[in-house]
Amino acid sequence: MKRKRLLAWGAMYGVLGILAIMWTYPIVVAIQKSFAVGGVGNYTAVLNHDQFNYWSAIGNSFLMAGGSTVVIVVISCLGGYAFSRMRFPGRVFLYRALLACLAVPVASVVTPLFFSINSLGLRDSYFGVIIPLVAFNVMTMLLLTKNHFDGIPTELVEAATIDGARPFGILWRIFLPLSGPLLANVSVLSFVYSWNEYLLPNLLISSPEKYPVTQAIALLQFERMSQEQIGQLYAGLILMTIPSVIVYLFSQRYLQSGLTAGAVKS
Amino acid sequence: MRSFGGRWAPYLYVAPIVIIAGVLLYFSIGFAVYASLTDWNGLTRMEFIGLANYAELFQDRTFYIALGNTVKFMIATVTLQAVLGLLIAVIAKERIPGSNFFKALFFAPIAMAPAIIATVFKYMLEANYGALNETLRALGLLGANETIQWLGADLGVWSISAINVFSWMGFSMMVYFAGLMAIPDELYEAAELDGAGWWRRLFSITIPSLRGTTSVLITLGIVGSLKTFDSVWLTTQGGPGVSTHFLSTFLYQARLDREAGYSSAIGIVILVVAFALAVVQMRLSNREN
Repeated sequence: MKRKRLLAWGAMYGVLGILAIMWTYPIVVAIQKSFAVGGVGNYTAVLNHDQFNYWSAIGNSFLMAGGSTVVIVVISCLGGYAFSRMRFPGRVFLYRALLACLAVPVASVVTPLFFSINSLGLRDSYFGVIIPLVAFNVMTMLLLTKNHFDGIPTELVEAATIDGARPFGILWRIFLPLSGPLLANVSVLSFVYSWNEYLLPNLLISSPEKYPVTQAIALLQFERMSQEQIGQLYAGLILMTIPSVIVYLFSQRYLQSGLTAGAVKS
Repeated sequence: MRSFGGRWAPYLYVAPIVIIAGVLLYFSIGFAVYASLTDWNGLTRMEFIGLANYAELFQDRTFYIALGNTVKFMIATVTLQAVLGLLIAVIAKERIPGSNFFKALFFAPIAMAPAIIATVFKYMLEANYGALNETLRALGLLGANETIQWLGADLGVWSISAINVFSWMGFSMMVYFAGLMAIPDELYEAAELDGAGWWRRLFSITIPSLRGTTSVLITLGIVGSLKTFDSVWLTTQGGPGVSTHFLSTFLYQARLDREAGYSSAIGIVILVVAFALAVVQMRLSNREN
């Protein structure tokens, strides 16, 4: 029995070990190449680059991801509350019509999207990226929020209504205080999704000084690259991943629960 | 419930999400339908030409290449992510020492930007001086002057699929792990008493109990395939030639070529496929419940 158990452990560690090598390989390559040729100099070169400004790329990403996260949290709480607790004509239709947007790929509507943002005079502005970031990411968050609000006991609402609380007061003083983990899930997910977005800024931002990190990678790439430039590119990629790693380390729990909740309940 | 706005109050609550997201998306879809019936170049000219864009699209060889690549990618990623994700979830459930470390490792790529991952892979998979071929040469698996064109016409789609598996396998693993935790222990205990071995329990308890989870992962995988853009555009950009185009990059290339009407028609085809697959999947899962 003991031998069988050891064998099973061996097989399991074997599988995990092989996969772990495959998953760490690209990371090891990126780190090793980032020191190739120029050593630590690659990092200082990237931080003092002519075309590529690391801190501005990070700042732009923070603005776009942070801005869209704030809007997403506010409007999905308001909407989720109404769809969960209010009865009004068109409720089911509206909710379904909104959730149907989950299936819309950004790529499928790039042309009209560019036209809309351009017509609103918002092309090449932070706000012009934040609006579509909100539009494409908010439906998942609406789904999560509404499902969570559905689970809050009606007795609490009835008691508060008798005490004279108004709908907004109920949302503010009863629902939100009971939604700490949900708000964390929604915020972390929205932030990570928006931070990672490449197609929307690529479509709508044209000035390099407004590039977020995903778009700024292009500033480190050239037609024919020397080994030195490749080393600098890798150093830049590592530096640009640091904020994501920090977010991951601090919010792994919320990222996991948010992502799995979205999958299990959809 | 009397309150500010009276019976209109609910609409005030849903107005922000409907206006910012709903109107923008539905307007875009409607506009894409209209633009797909014109010869719009994205700037000025916009003449109604009926279904000519669609007629041209269904004759376009690149469209079928892009469609084929999208389907290959869909099958490869959905299968690999499900099989590997389930395998690791099952192992992690045994609670062997270190399993939390492995879970965190496989899940970590989800937090990284696909654009950054794609760029790392692009240079890693480069045929002449890329790290992967260098490693294979060092291990003696590849001759000194031999190259493997990982991002070439033949292997490109599969390499791009591998990038996606690298990013998203950890997600399947987590979803399966959550599903595994929900299977009652009594089922396993009863099976063990009946003398069912490990494999027998896997195939007659674990996998059937996770059917709902698997079907959710398949839906997300299919929708995700139609959304995949970064890992193609930033590695091969559809090339060499048009051999690794996906529907999304084919559309984007048409847009860059100032064929806004044509690219809108491609967008409508993508949307129709996405909605049709989503509806089929919903029907199937409703029947199961």
